[in-house]
Amino acid sequence: MIRSVFHRLLTAVSGRPAAALAALVLCGAAQGCGRQEAQFTHRAGFENLMPEAQSYVHEALEQHFGTPTQVVAWEQLPIKLHAAAGAVGAAPDARSIAVNYSQQNLPIEPGLQTAWLSGPLLQSQGDPAWVEAVDVAGRIMFEQPLASVPAEGDRVAIGPGEVLRYGRVLYAEHCQHCHGVSGDAQGPTASYLNPRPRDFRRGIFKFTTTTASNRASRADLARVIENGVPGTYMPSFKLLSDAESMAIIEYVLFLSMRGEVEYQLVTQLGNDYSNQAVKDRIDGGETRKGILDEFTGMVNGGDMQEQFNETVESIVTRWVEANEPEAIIVPGAKRPPATPESIARGRMLYLSQDLNCVACHGEAALGDGPQSYSITKNAAGEDNPTPGLYDEWGNLVKPRNLTQGIYRGGRRPIDLFARLHGGIKGTPMPAFGGKKTDEELWDLVNYILSVPFEVRHPGDGLKEARPVVEDVEQVATR
Amino acid sequence: MKKFWIALFMLVPILALWSCYVAPERGWWFPGTTGPYGGEAASPMGRRIDDLFYMILAITTVTFIGTQLALGYVLWTGARRGDAGSGEKAWFSHGSHNLEVIWSIVPAGILLFIALYQMDVVAAIRFKSEFPEQVQNRPLAEVTARQFEWRIRYPGFDANGNLLPLMADPQPTDLYAVNDLRLPAAQPVMINLRTDDVQHAFFLPELRVKQDAVPGLTIPVWFEADRADEFTLLCAELCGWGHYKMRARFVALREPDFLQYLRDLQAQQDYDGVPDAADEE
Ligand code: HEC
Ligand code: HEC
Ligand SMILES: [Cu+2]
Repeated sequence: MIRSVFHRLLTAVSGRPAAALAALVLCGAAQGCGRQEAQFTHRAGFENLMPEAQSYVHEALEQHFGTPTQVVAWEQLPIKLHAAAGAVGAAPDARSIAVNYSQQNLPIEPGLQTAWLSGPLLQSQGDPAWVEAVDVAGRIMFEQPLASVPAEGDRVAIGPGEVLRYGRVLYAEHCQHCHGVSGDAQGPTASYLNPRPRDFRRGIFKFTTTTASNRASRADLARVIENGVPGTYMPSFKLLSDAESMAIIEYVLFLSMRGEVEYQLVTQLGNDYSNQAVKDRIDGGETRKGILDEFTGMVNGGDMQEQFNETVESIVTRWVEANEPEAIIVPGAKRPPATPESIARGRMLYLSQDLNCVACHGEAALGDGPQSYSITKNAAGEDNPTPGLYDEWGNLVKPRNLTQGIYRGGRRPIDLFARLHGGIKGTPMPAFGGKKTDEELWDLVNYILSVPFEVRHPGDGLKEARPVVEDVEQVATR
Repeated sequence: MKKFWIALFMLVPILALWSCYVAPERGWWFPGTTGPYGGEAASPMGRRIDDLFYMILAITTVTFIGTQLALGYVLWTGARRGDAGSGEKAWFSHGSHNLEVIWSIVPAGILLFIALYQMDVVAAIRFKSEFPEQVQNRPLAEVTARQFEWRIRYPGFDANGNLLPLMADPQPTDLYAVNDLRLPAAQPVMINLRTDDVQHAFFLPELRVKQDAVPGLTIPVWFEADRADEFTLLCAELCGWGHYKMRARFVALREPDFLQYLRDLQAQQDYDGVPDAADEE
């Protein structure tokens, strides 16, 4: 009886039992035993493009960034890609070369590949040169003699893309279940968290020590990953080794840049080549074929390539700039001691109409200012679904309750100074650098740090804050 | 065939004894067995706990061998009686008062012995009044478990550079760290253990310290690391999907190094982003 049911089932599948059985076994292997291949997914808005534009975006991304398991090490990106890179040094021969390193990111181990980034060997990628060992003089020795010897000065990469590969494995192990395969904050655990994990694909990070107009520096990412974000689900990864955290940071940067390129492409093409735009244009008298021809012309040899290069160029420039010293916020004066006077000045600034911290953080700094419960508008100018402030990613954010003494971006004075100077990027928390002098910002920092230790009672209203220094003395004498 | 089954059943205790015998060298033993200290606890209290463990192991080994021998004997005689032509009869023991009294009193005696014998150790670990004099009411750090990390709060220094006592509530002078607990070695130290959310457990396997962190309670925990070294700090209570992430380190330092560590922490925490004039020159 059971056998006949089976038989009928199988024949129903394909009409030929043997083939159906084979198909079932294959399915089983693919779903059960086989591993699911990780894939980069596309951002919201991609689906709205017309199919031809979708495949253009998809291919452009795949060509320049690859897939999670086959990451492309695109030299254009300001990312540490290779285990080491440099130029071929003096007296190269077929068994070994010396390298003048420009970058040494990971240890050079036997079995790494050596790739030529310039010179005549560039073409002969077909037979890779595997590192056998590094000799005492620091020369790279090869397993097999090279078919032709590189010239001195040729650019060379050892372990091409190795940093990204390593970073991706670590990212998959530690971060992916929250931040998602594509860095889209759509990992399986993400929807249970508040605040939600960061979506890297806009290239925006909240807690930076760079000025308001700049991206995050590597040091900022390193600090967040090492210390976590207190008060949120972003945990501390203190025990990662230096090499591990370097590789993870580069991979986060890689995902950010990939996301930004995608965002820019989708936005640019969305103007003229979204399904809606095409429909409107056809209604306006154009033909579908005309639009398609225009698009193909633009993509094949038209100015799309140039536009793409410009997009990438501008993204790259911003990341390069973020890591330059000019981008870093350095206060013009040392932090003054937290005297009662400084705290009082900070408090007056906090309450002032001019800075209007109270509009968001509230008079008692409980994070309950009027803006935290008024209807606000989103980027498209529509009312947000529930009252309150929203960040760039469309998540509700509450202004911080400053009485708790938990600072997500870190509790060092410079952290708070940078938060005030550069704002919290991607959130309504504004940047006050330039608007107020550095001395005034320090007074504010001193005030903020004193808030958790204020003694307030119901009905105190705007009573003078009890200065923090007294507390210190009391503790000392206790 | 009967002999085969007897042999097979007797193989089980032999395998069990063999696996115990090879356990230490294979790293199936106490944490750190394959490390430099060969599985010995890294704290005096840890060694007392290990001694209890070894004592119980000895008792259970003797009992285990005894019961297995008895089992073998019963199987063997049973098999012999079942042989064709054997006239032997089974011995009917059901309802024997003497036997029942023996196998009630002997285990009860052993359990009572163990219960009394370990009381000192348990008291020394758990009862604050039994803590060593120098740590009583002198916590050096507050360790707060949260999903999924360990947040640590140390007392800071007063204006004259003396270490302040740790207060129950956060103080402006406090110093903070995460996933990295550092305390003096070679002396008893005490921490206050808390949790921000669900139940966690503070576990220092090499020191044999394990204490649950219970919401709403501040639990004092004391321990003593023999030597300045780095140890593992884990969460030993399944506290959520990220439980495995709660791996941190405990570093035991010489006392001066510990104070220096706190001073460095203070310097880091006070950093105001302006390079010192001295550095610039
Ligand atoms: C348990 C989930 C979780 C895991 C695991 C996790 N994160 Fe996060 N991450 C978060 C959340 C939540 C935030 C957002 C915090 C906020 O908005 O204040 C965040 C924020 C970030 C940020 C942005 C900080 C900023 O300044 O904007 C970075 C970068 C980051 N995570 C990197 C990582 C890396 C790298 C890993 C793996 C080593 C990782 N995260 C693992 C939840 C997680
Ligand atoms: C438009 C509303 C708004 C104004 C005005 C505003 N903030 Fe904020 N602030 C926020 C929001 C929202 C956050 C939380 C951002 C986040 O983490 O997502 C925040 C966070 C903070 C934080 C926490 C930083 C950290 O590391 O956790 C501090 C401190 C702060 N604000 C101080 C101030 C001060 C001081 C002023 C006035 C000079 C001010 N804010 C003005 C909205 C505002
Ligand atoms: Cu836990």
